[in-house]
Amino acid sequence: MIILKNITKKYSKQTVLDITDLSIPVGQTFGLVGNNGAGKTTMFSCLLDLIKPSTGTVLNNDVEVLKSEKWKSFTSAFLDDTFLIGYLMPEEYFYFIGELRGLKQKEVDEFLNKFEDFFHGEILGGKKYLRDLSKGNQKKVGVVAALLGEPKVVILDEPFANLDPSTQIRLKQILKDLSKNKETTILVSSHDIQDVTEVCERIVLLEKGKIIKDIETNPKTLKELEAYFKG
Amino acid sequence: MFFTFIKLNWKSFFRGRSVGSNIITKIFKWFWLLYFAFITPLLGIITYKVLKEDLGVEDPFSYLNKNLIYVFAYWIVIRYFIQPIPVVSIKPLLLTPISKSKIVRYSLGKSVFSFFNLIAFFYLIPLTFVLIDEGYQAYQLLGWNLTIIAFVYITNYLNFILNNNDKLLYSIGLTLGGIKIFEYYSIFDFTIYSEAFFYLFYSNPIFTVIPWAFLIWTYFYVFKYFKNGLYIDLGLKKKTKEAKSEDFSWLNRFGKTAIFLKNDLRLIKRSKRARSTVFAGIFFLFYGFIFYFQEDIWGDFMTFFGYLFATGGFLFMFGSFVPSWDSQYYSLMMCQNIEYKEYIKSKWSLVVIGTAISTLLACFIYSFLGLDAVFAVLAGGLYNMGINGYLTLWAGAFTKTPIDLDSSKNAFGDTKAFNMKTLLISLPQMALPIVLFSIGNYYYSSLIGCLIVGIVGVLGILLKEQVFNLIIKAYKTEKYSTLKAYNKN
Repeated sequence: MIILKNITKKYSKQTVLDITDLSIPVGQTFGLVGNNGAGKTTMFSCLLDLIKPSTGTVLNNDVEVLKSEKWKSFTSAFLDDTFLIGYLMPEEYFYFIGELRGLKQKEVDEFLNKFEDFFHGEILGGKKYLRDLSKGNQKKVGVVAALLGEPKVVILDEPFANLDPSTQIRLKQILKDLSKNKETTILVSSHDIQDVTEVCERIVLLEKGKIIKDIETNPKTLKELEAYFKG
Repeated sequence: MFFTFIKLNWKSFFRGRSVGSNIITKIFKWFWLLYFAFITPLLGIITYKVLKEDLGVEDPFSYLNKNLIYVFAYWIVIRYFIQPIPVVSIKPLLLTPISKSKIVRYSLGKSVFSFFNLIAFFYLIPLTFVLIDEGYQAYQLLGWNLTIIAFVYITNYLNFILNNNDKLLYSIGLTLGGIKIFEYYSIFDFTIYSEAFFYLFYSNPIFTVIPWAFLIWTYFYVFKYFKNGLYIDLGLKKKTKEAKSEDFSWLNRFGKTAIFLKNDLRLIKRSKRARSTVFAGIFFLFYGFIFYFQEDIWGDFMTFFGYLFATGGFLFMFGSFVPSWDSQYYSLMMCQNIEYKEYIKSKWSLVVIGTAISTLLACFIYSFLGLDAVFAVLAGGLYNMGINGYLTLWAGAFTKTPIDLDSSKNAFGDTKAFNMKTLLISLPQMALPIVLFSIGNYYYSSLIGCLIVGIVGVLGILLKEQVFNLIIKAYKTEKYSTLKAYNKN
């Protein structure tokens, strides 16, 4: 269970995030949508203790994020390319993240086998460092690394952006499969409302840092969101 | 058009991320430039006299000509390491109605006024007046001067190509090394030819047309080279090397620290920026000699300072940029399943291992200066590990300059590995051990002085846990602003 209570983030006078009460139960697939500057990344950054909120508390499975580092053992994330280590090869990067999560190389290899389709032969066994991969391939590496080691909470910022259509479809499938076990809480943000409605059970719409809509996904959701964004 | 470019340059400087530190670096740079602008004409004035009277050279002018070949050789090397290539951020300009020739002409034209060229004038003009005063022909000297200026600018443009071509650099380096070796074993003396060659332009000034023709050719060659490179898949492309996987599993015995050590080793091997920093640290190993040979002037505490500094090269050059080395993926580090303490500990281990290796090497290097030197090196090494290691890491919590690992700029200068700021930070760290040493040295002997410094270092290592808790506190409070600064990259 993730709980945000009275979370605000202010820069000088501008409030970029203002969430009074939001709780995400264990196993939920949670989608965050909103236009640029709505506060999506800020909210995720607060969850990961990358930005210190001006007020409020964040609880991640009973761990108070601001006070303890214990949440790190069961949470993983991929927000942007600052989550990649440019001078490593993809394999080395996976091993590194795997080691931090207590996995042996062999276990990491077994895990990666499952993503052969997703990687489309462009990631593993190549002769490139991460910094030399295309944006799309970098994203693939980052997203898969975030799934390493069976984390209880997975946070992905814009995972579908920059991906080619086939990869988008595969990634959606991967996330759906992951959500089936009802143990992993998945938080996804996106600009593409169709992607989110397909994957997520619940969608929250942010605008100027505030929650405008909080919807259980149903067949009408896409229409509802489209109507909102049309203005 | 020229002014448009200058305006762009101006904006990129003042709107840069770190204007403050940029200005400080600029001030330093100007200080040094002024210093050289003052000292070089002085050198030009005294060269003749010093050569003749103090060094007993019979014919200073031919002596100069003899050595000009080396001057130009070193000039190329210095240029390569220090002279920045003026880069206009070219990509956005490609689609504007500015012709490619103009962009290149601006880049090449700007370098005409580079300090590394102007300094030659500062030296040559006073020297020429002295030479005229000594009875050399003004008209003939003009030819000689023009020739040297031509060669100065040839090396200037050569540097443009060298910076983009490692193979050419290595072959020039090899040739120079070869020349030196030939001369050293008196197999073949190039200086005779150098003398004859440059004297030719004095005896027949008209021949200066040849180097000038060569200069013009070089200019057009470089011009074409750059103009042809103005495509995003050619000259403007980031160079990529074929990746090779490295395991380093022998490090696993160090436990959780090893996970990071492996990465740091890869960083040093694969990022040019990190690599050149480590190389700069290696130069420090020889720092002790500077003061050893001038002990009469500086006194023995400065000799000690030299040894202390010699063991700290890695610490000061590489360690001062912890955690900036991780700036590009700092958010990742902050989210991983690892406590802050472990992370800092691994960085500390890296710095200590580096310092230990430097100390061992320094012991070896200075062993032929006697046991005193070895003790001083050991004491300095222990102190650097036990005290300065912490101080550097602690200061790192407040150093928030992101490092662009992918930038393939060369090894010294402002945006480069050799950083004035780091040196300034590291100087006070040197004060305390020197005071400690001096006390021991003054009342007892240099050995006792070393012992005191060494013991303080060992005490520092023993107090590891307590000190770490303090350092981590600083890192934790600075975490958010550090992340913010790094993310601006």
